[in-house]
Amino acid sequence: MSQRVFHPLVKLLLDGDITLADLPAELRREGEEAMRLLGAVDRRPVKLPEMSQRVMQAIAQRHERSTWRRLLEPREIRVRFRPWLVAPALAAAAALVIWLGRPEPVATPAGAVVTVRFVLSAPDAREVTVAGTFNQWDSHATPLVRTGATDLWTATITLPAGQHQYAFVVDGVRWVHDPAAPAVDDGFGRRNSVLTL
Amino acid sequence: MGPETEADGEIVRAVLAGDRERYAKLVERYRDRYARYAARMLGSADAAEDAVQDAFVRAFDQLAQCKDPDKFVGWFFLILRNRCFAERRRSRSEAPLEAADGVAAADRADGGTETAERRRALQHALLELTPDQREVFVLKHVEGLSYGEIAERLSTSVPSLKMRMHRAYDKLREQLREHT
Repeated sequence: MSQRVFHPLVKLLLDGDITLADLPAELRREGEEAMRLLGAVDRRPVKLPEMSQRVMQAIAQRHERSTWRRLLEPREIRVRFRPWLVAPALAAAAALVIWLGRPEPVATPAGAVVTVRFVLSAPDAREVTVAGTFNQWDSHATPLVRTGATDLWTATITLPAGQHQYAFVVDGVRWVHDPAAPAVDDGFGRRNSVLTL
Repeated sequence: MGPETEADGEIVRAVLAGDRERYAKLVERYRDRYARYAARMLGSADAAEDAVQDAFVRAFDQLAQCKDPDKFVGWFFLILRNRCFAERRRSRSEAPLEAADGVAAADRADGGTETAERRRALQHALLELTPDQREVFVLKHVEGLSYGEIAERLSTSVPSLKMRMHRAYDKLREQLREHT
């Protein structure tokens, strides 16, 4: 069965370029069929009265999830261990903290936790840990792990929001604070780095 | 300028500056207009509601990428259009005729007149068109846009739209032969 196509003049009628009266008599019937087709077009409005509320709720929920994701994603604290900058007797001690990714300043809800990744570049170290107020200054509690064959040692831990003091401990004896970060005197002649989450 | 006459661009810039709640104004302004387009494209009022909501949320997420805030609505339309096309591809095998019945449900509630039957038949036939053909038909005959306006909105030419539409007319005629 061949397809019934509209005559080109009837298509002009459908497009609104001519009227039914412009069609030759032999095309009138086809023209009327075309007009019935257009008469069946549903132009009634579709109302979505609740849409604004639903959209704004969805946006608020996504924003909330995104805020929590930012809080829970690891932030990286990278420390480059530069033993040549200090006296050999101390054997360790300068460190540079570089915040990577510059976390957005977000309000930290009370009770929130933040995941932090500590990274120390220490090519000659045999063992690295981080000690601080969050682990009662236990120099064995939080070891960093060497990343493959690189010079980097890392540890990812979750800390409660708030202020923490910390230092790296290299080979169990060398306490390394961060000269680029705020620091406070520990009362025993050493400096502790301060981390505010 | 009062809030009722606030231009789209002004609202978009306020939202980008942090006044998130102002976005509701844009949703209220355009939700019904584009709900009809989505309903005719998808053949289902429920699917249209989901598509419009999703498009508004996506538009909010990507608002910083709206290069000309004063032309928000054209930019939003393209997001909704992509969403509708993707939805049709996804649900192509999922009983499209039932979807058309969803649009006609209100007609049945009104008593199932001859007009309602013709509307239902046309909505079925529209879903048999290609999405491109259906879109140009919807924009011209449901939304009442001229070929020039459609060409501008879809970044295409009038002759190309006319060719698409004229094929759609023939296909619709074929689909509707038992109703004429």
